[in-house]
Amino acid sequence: MANTGWDEFEIGAMLRTFEGEAGNIAGTLQEDRKYTENSSFSASVADWRIEKPIFAKDYCIDCQFCWIYCPDISIISRDKKMIGIDMDHCKGCGICVEVCPTNPKSLLMFPELADEETEIAQWPAKEKKEK
Amino acid sequence: MSEMKKIKNLKEFSTSADRFEGANLLCPGCAHSIIVREVLNATNDDLVLAASTGCLEVCTAVYPYTSWDASWIHIGFENGSTAVAGAEAMYKALKTKGRLKQPDRNPKFVAFGGDGASYDIGFQWISGCMERNHDMMYVVLDNEVYANTGGQRSSSTPIGSSATTTPAGSISYGETRNKKDMMGIMAAHNIPYAAQVAPNKWKDMVKKIQKGFATEGAVFINAVSPCTTEWKFDPKDTMHLTDLATDSLVFPLYEVIDGHELNITYRPKEKDIVPVEEYLAAQGRFRHLFKDQYKYLIKEWQERVDANWAYLNRREEARV
Repeated sequence: MANTGWDEFEIGAMLRTFEGEAGNIAGTLQEDRKYTENSSFSASVADWRIEKPIFAKDYCIDCQFCWIYCPDISIISRDKKMIGIDMDHCKGCGICVEVCPTNPKSLLMFPELADEETEIAQWPAKEKKEK
Repeated sequence: MSEMKKIKNLKEFSTSADRFEGANLLCPGCAHSIIVREVLNATNDDLVLAASTGCLEVCTAVYPYTSWDASWIHIGFENGSTAVAGAEAMYKALKTKGRLKQPDRNPKFVAFGGDGASYDIGFQWISGCMERNHDMMYVVLDNEVYANTGGQRSSSTPIGSSATTTPAGSISYGETRNKKDMMGIMAAHNIPYAAQVAPNKWKDMVKKIQKGFATEGAVFINAVSPCTTEWKFDPKDTMHLTDLATDSLVFPLYEVIDGHELNITYRPKEKDIVPVEEYLAAQGRFRHLFKDQYKYLIKEWQERVDANWAYLNRREEARV
């Protein structure tokens, strides 16, 4: 399906995002939905990234700024808590790091190949405010 | 009338289940999807969506993928608005005849378009939808340039901006015409609700969108959408640029009810107002304005923004 050529388009194509009856989508979380292979949710843009965000849970205050300002629906928030980053859909733009209000930031950008555990272990300390 | 979704704070808002999917092909740091998410998450009702040709359309419906979890259609560059207006007219007709299959559901009709599709190409169509007062919402993702086709100027491009068809150089300072006052034009249709929004002021934005959904009749929304590719800034600074746009009053946030009742909804404190120079300096498209020969344009920019702000304040006071 993903390898359909430009001249093999189905004219007036209708793409179905969900298997069978869609039901109440606004009340169904992503993990409970039955996506078809036509939904871009089944695709990945992980190879776009040069840098990736790493999330240090200890400093997070669950303000949800990263959730609202993430353009790629890659911040996973459940029950008012930020629980992680969806690495299949993150394009590595770095907006979440910019809007993070904590000190030190609970999200920071690292090279794509950086190891998450090592980086969290050596997370930068709290910055003192200049007077 | 279905019940309005309650959104008191950001934590409550974050329990929304997104109906717009990732792995779309918008640039990293694109504000379009932030705006779309804030619009779609403002309601739990069913949605009938359309998009005019533009970045949003080409990036979210790349065959065989779709990024939309609601019914969505694309027809042409100009008729995103009329596609939704047609669906709305049909819905209304079936409702009067009592032939709706699920009469308890209250779908919302929303059309999205870029500034090229709205300010220029689809202008006549949108004007028609507003004039006929369809129960729909039209959202402009205003990035002030034809970003999808390589950065040509649109009638939303402001003075001094270097676009590919109005390049800045030794003879020209870029775009010479001022930005079209789309809000003024749309409000002059005497539509029930028109508002200017910015994604960084999410609460203000969601409030206005919900007000728009609750309004019976045509609603026009103009949303600022900083474009990392054509405005030439780092993708991570999208929200910073939006902050500068709203705090420098280049992009004031206000609403117009019934074409005459103007309310300013975001009024930065005197000390928080950013000089326009700072907003221009943050973007590559205005870089040439800082050469000695074009510096007078920055002063003109500031005067224009101040005059517009004074105008809005006077209109708010006068209620006309």
